Amino acid sequence: MVLDEDMLRGFVESVSGPGFDYVEARFHGGRFTQLFFLNGVLAGASTGDDSGVSFRVLYNGGLGFSATSDVTREGLRDALSRAVSSAKASSLRVKSRVAVSPARLGSAGYRVLEIRPLDDLDVEYKIREVQERIRGLEAPRDPVRLSSYTVVYNEVSERKLVVTSDGGVVESVIPRVSISYNLSATTGDRRANRWNMVAGSGGFELVDRLRFDAEMRSDVESLYVNLVKAGSPPRGRMDVILSPEIVGLSVHESIGHPSEADRVLGREAAQAGLSYRRDYKEPVIGSSHVTVYDDPTIPGSYGFYLYDDEGVPARRRVLIDRGRLGELLHNRETASVYGVESNASARATDYRSEPIVRMANTYMAPGDYRFEELLEGVKEGVYVKKYMEWNIDDYRWVARYVGLEAYMVRNGRLEEPVRDVVLEINTRDYYSSIDAVGRDLEFSAGTCGKGEPPQPMPVWMGGPHVRLRGVVVR
Amino acid sequence: MSSRSLANTIVERVRRLVEEYIVTVITRDSIMVKYANGEVTVTQAWRDYVVSIYMAKAGRISASTFTSRDPVEAAARTATLIEKLQPSPLYAPLPQPTGKPSSTVDPKVRDLSLSGDAARLVEDVDVSRYGDVAGMNSLEYSKAYMMGSNGLDAEFEVTSFSGYMRVFRGESSGQWAWVSTGYEPALALKAIDKAGELASLCSTLPLERIASGTYRVLLSPMVAGNLMERVAFAASAGSVIFGFSFLQGRQKGDVIASDKLTLREIPLDPSLPGYRSVDDEGVATRDKAIIERGVFKGLLHNTKTAKLMGEESTGNAGWILPRIFNLEIEGGSLREEELLEALGDGIYATNNWYTRFQNYLEGTFSTVTRDALLVVRGGKPIACARRARLTGRLPELIAGIEDLSRERWPIQWWEVDTPFIIPHVIVSKLGVTMEG
Repeated sequence: MVLDEDMLRGFVESVSGPGFDYVEARFHGGRFTQLFFLNGVLAGASTGDDSGVSFRVLYNGGLGFSATSDVTREGLRDALSRAVSSAKASSLRVKSRVAVSPARLGSAGYRVLEIRPLDDLDVEYKIREVQERIRGLEAPRDPVRLSSYTVVYNEVSERKLVVTSDGGVVESVIPRVSISYNLSATTGDRRANRWNMVAGSGGFELVDRLRFDAEMRSDVESLYVNLVKAGSPPRGRMDVILSPEIVGLSVHESIGHPSEADRVLGREAAQAGLSYRRDYKEPVIGSSHVTVYDDPTIPGSYGFYLYDDEGVPARRRVLIDRGRLGELLHNRETASVYGVESNASARATDYRSEPIVRMANTYMAPGDYRFEELLEGVKEGVYVKKYMEWNIDDYRWVARYVGLEAYMVRNGRLEEPVRDVVLEINTRDYYSSIDAVGRDLEFSAGTCGKGEPPQPMPVWMGGPHVRLRGVVVR
Repeated sequence: MSSRSLANTIVERVRRLVEEYIVTVITRDSIMVKYANGEVTVTQAWRDYVVSIYMAKAGRISASTFTSRDPVEAAARTATLIEKLQPSPLYAPLPQPTGKPSSTVDPKVRDLSLSGDAARLVEDVDVSRYGDVAGMNSLEYSKAYMMGSNGLDAEFEVTSFSGYMRVFRGESSGQWAWVSTGYEPALALKAIDKAGELASLCSTLPLERIASGTYRVLLSPMVAGNLMERVAFAASAGSVIFGFSFLQGRQKGDVIASDKLTLREIPLDPSLPGYRSVDDEGVATRDKAIIERGVFKGLLHNTKTAKLMGEESTGNAGWILPRIFNLEIEGGSLREEELLEALGDGIYATNNWYTRFQNYLEGTFSTVTRDALLVVRGGKPIACARRARLTGRLPELIAGIEDLSRERWPIQWWEVDTPFIIPHVIVSKLGVTMEG
């Protein structure tokens, strides 16, 4: 059966009567292929599709959601009936009525351009292309050798069709490619890992564009530096220069997540947690050098979309403007609580998932400094280039980043490498201590976690090099 | 079309195209009620059909998953794919099935899940008396049918009742989880009571900033479950092969932990929803120790990893890599009311999240505490702290286990994926860090 706009609209319009405020249907499917390589050899493959339809129904302030992979007419009728009964169950105990904000909704369709369409290329070719790029990676870098390395190539073409009872109709096709890997290195009795991922939206051209092979070879070198060359980490208060990899992660964790309005409202309290923005009343969180955006519309990005999963047109969101806290990320539900318009942050991982407030591509805006100029201002400090371990508390206030590759900086010069530098710092101190921001801008790919059932979500995280003054490392 | 007919149709299509195959059809009905700020935020219901196909030909292997009910398309795509692969270093022939399928079903959970109506669940687990509470409560009924070229022909059903709640008392909070195959609202309410008790206790104590350092630490079942699940994952042969295990290089019989620790994988416990009597290759599962009184009892294998490492399957397939069904840690000597006294001076961590590794091969990790974090002196809770991290190495953590509680809790939640029956655990030494 072909699922089209008219069919979904028919189901949406079949729910009417007193108390029904909103109905939404979403077809959401993805065809995927995954190839995984062990030490350069293809170890297995997986392909498939993950497609179905979800319905959301709002009844007397109670929200119901239902999803099914049975897309027969009977299956959809059954799923819609479950969404209705779920909404009625919710409405029995609701004190704060759920509503959706009015929005200018799209009536549109779009498709991400694939220069080398994934469906046009044979899987044998894809296997060869990945293998050619990782050939020879296992060559020892004396005295370090790779005890194992794994590579996972993943492609998915995600198709969505969203129809809402207040006029939104948006169809989209977004293909994505990701390549993740884990390197395990040993020397004598010492061992270390590097896990990393590159990803974007588009076709097979991303395998070249994302330069994962260059990243892998650079990471082998980082492991060599960590295992052989690096000395004990410095301790105490000093200047710190952070790479785009860590700046991107930090703005995602300590600016993006706490700016999600559903967290501020407590809706995610038992899962991914709350937000300091619930209680933080100061207008300023960082120095005037700090501006942070979240922008779904960056072409080729892993978190790309032009309309969100409620049909709202996407735009760049300003989360921090020269140190001052900016807008929250909203879907239509949270926007209605705040009396604002949704800024198109509703995303659902798959048909099983309700659209909740999510980031897309979060990054710190670049400044004016060349890397050498950032170094020049440091008498004694440390430059952290790559990390492995990180985490942040569920209020998004204190984060920890542990360097995999880091170097001492003395009198403006990079000097000896140091191992496992720890930066554990609260959000205000981190952003307030930034006194210079690089002119570069690099993005890393990530899979953001939130929701119940958990909804892994493709995102980019980015930024320039930055300099922090007088922070504690250990 | 029934699951059996659907699987048969797929088999008819693939049997001439490949040498080995297993087709699995799973139907799942589930409902979930989510809460925040003391009220229902959304009620959800799912009905899923998932078809999975394993195929092997000339040493090439693939494992594919389709939610599409079009078996022809599913089979054709997978068969096309396998022709173009390369022989896998993981390949091993499918084993002869040895297990008999069996089910663990509570009719109440099944019927409520099939109905898609959550009103009864909302009534029976009434969270309104807890005030400011957030969390979720869910029911699931699943039915699986597997048939394979190795003679596998198995059908079984499982039900699940699981959830977690975070209770707030002012700025303090506590969180607890539950899991069962049976419909046990009392189990859920006991867990929510525990969360409320911890939140209330913290709300009456002064706030104290902990100095970074090394402490004796009491891990709640929530925290111990999170960290010990990582230990169990490290015992999967897949983790060893793929470089994610601190047990790489360890041999059966090595003493790797305190003699107080017995960690078992228990697929045959009918009270836990990971219940399986046959694994994904048709091999009979068995309950087994991963660590018994501190001694490493061996890695978890499917036939592929077993062949690669010269071992036997432990009944933990996973088509490609081994999987873990349920876990337990044996209880110790302490009653729950004796735990703080046994801890003496230290920290009681009741919940955590965001465990990340600096180095999987050495087991170097940190994790962030959340909810009630109690400072204990002289066996009494004297203050609560916030936003501390537990840091260390898993080998040292399990070597430092001093004692455990007799009472155990069935836990499963965001940070403990595998259904886990687990006691409180006292660790002699663990790093605790604070910012700055």
